[in-house]
Amino acid sequence: MDETALIQSAQQGDLDAFNTLILHYQDTVFNTALRILGDEDQAQDAAQEAFISAFHSITSFRGGSFKAWIMRTVTNACYDELRRQKRRPTTPLEPETNDGEEMDSPKWLADSSMTPDQKAEADELEHAIQHCLDALPTEFRSVVVLADIQGMDYSEVAAAAHVPLGTIKSRLARARLRLRECLRSFKELLPASFRLEGENTL
Amino acid sequence: MKNFREIEQLSAYLDGQLKASEAARLESRLKSDPELASVLSDLRATRGILGKLPKRKAPRNFTLTRKMVGLKPPLPRTYPLFRLATVFSTFMLMLSFTVNAMSPYVSFSAPAPAYGFGGGGGDELSVGGGCEGPCPEEAAATEAPMLELEPPAAAEEGALPAPEPQMDTMQAPKEAGSESEYQNQAMAEEEAQRNAQPVEAPISMLWQIIFLVIGILSGGLMWFMRRSALKKWQ
Repeated sequence: MDETALIQSAQQGDLDAFNTLILHYQDTVFNTALRILGDEDQAQDAAQEAFISAFHSITSFRGGSFKAWIMRTVTNACYDELRRQKRRPTTPLEPETNDGEEMDSPKWLADSSMTPDQKAEADELEHAIQHCLDALPTEFRSVVVLADIQGMDYSEVAAAAHVPLGTIKSRLARARLRLRECLRSFKELLPASFRLEGENTL
Repeated sequence: MKNFREIEQLSAYLDGQLKASEAARLESRLKSDPELASVLSDLRATRGILGKLPKRKAPRNFTLTRKMVGLKPPLPRTYPLFRLATVFSTFMLMLSFTVNAMSPYVSFSAPAPAYGFGGGGGDELSVGGGCEGPCPEEAAATEAPMLELEPPAAAEEGALPAPEPQMDTMQAPKEAGSESEYQNQAMAEEEAQRNAQPVEAPISMLWQIIFLVIGILSGGLMWFMRRSALKKWQ
């Protein structure tokens, strides 16, 4: 796939060329949206919105990493979705006790309904990680998703998040620190090779 | 507890984002500081866990349709010209119908006289309308009594001059009465003739036909252009 040629064709209004680019990036875009939003349906909507928006603004793409550019579009679509949720929340963000009081996040994360067997399941691990991601502030979450889940380098993340490189470094360090704290609640779920060490170091 | 600057350095070190000199300094510190080494290990494990998250396949294709992005088929450059022609001809056709329909009530060629307001529209048109010289009907109307008056003049030269004054005096009121009667009759006839005459439309039918033909032709061409562009596009 000659990406540059496809981008040029898409910039001239060739929808087929743009659809070829979509087929190449749709898994990455969907996964990014899924990790930022934590909900499959919303992730689908955000991915679709991102591609529509990308097609309309593709003439503004002036070279560089197309992946970073498309990631910026999907990140923005996710932010829009999160803002919409904030304005019109449909479900409580925190579970409530029988007394109607909100549960604290650590309690929520260490879900008592999880049995040891379920915890052993890979999807439970994924669930746990997603909970930890959801607990991060949005700007930290997007950076850690782009860098650690999508494997983008700092410059690409900076281009996608539209923030300076120094900010990316700082946000990534903070995000990893918080995730480390959060994941401790699920240490029995973690594979042996990824067990967190030095629990008393921080 | 390590300060945030150190954590940030460790995080950047993990990603290979430190300069060689900074990395070397940190590595020497890691050897001598087990706490720092432990934090690095934790951060590495955290990063590793995130990297291990399963990559989901997109549940459906997100390819776009032309409708989704609001794309329309590219039309020929001449298309706007035909659109303009259609709009213009339609407007002119409607205007011509309106003007012609209103023509019996409104004078278009000369300012309407003050007495014309409020009634007698037919007279207005005839007052302002058309004939620059004396109208044939008017000329006939004025000449007719003259011809009728001629026989008494000829009779003056005839054999009975004596009773003439008597006759004149006796018949004068009668003749004057018949003359005015005749004039009234002529005017009434003239008016009836005018009313019976069809009012000439300000915009001729020829123009209306031209506008109609232009409208139909350009509209048809537009439709054909759109259809062929859509076919080619699909």
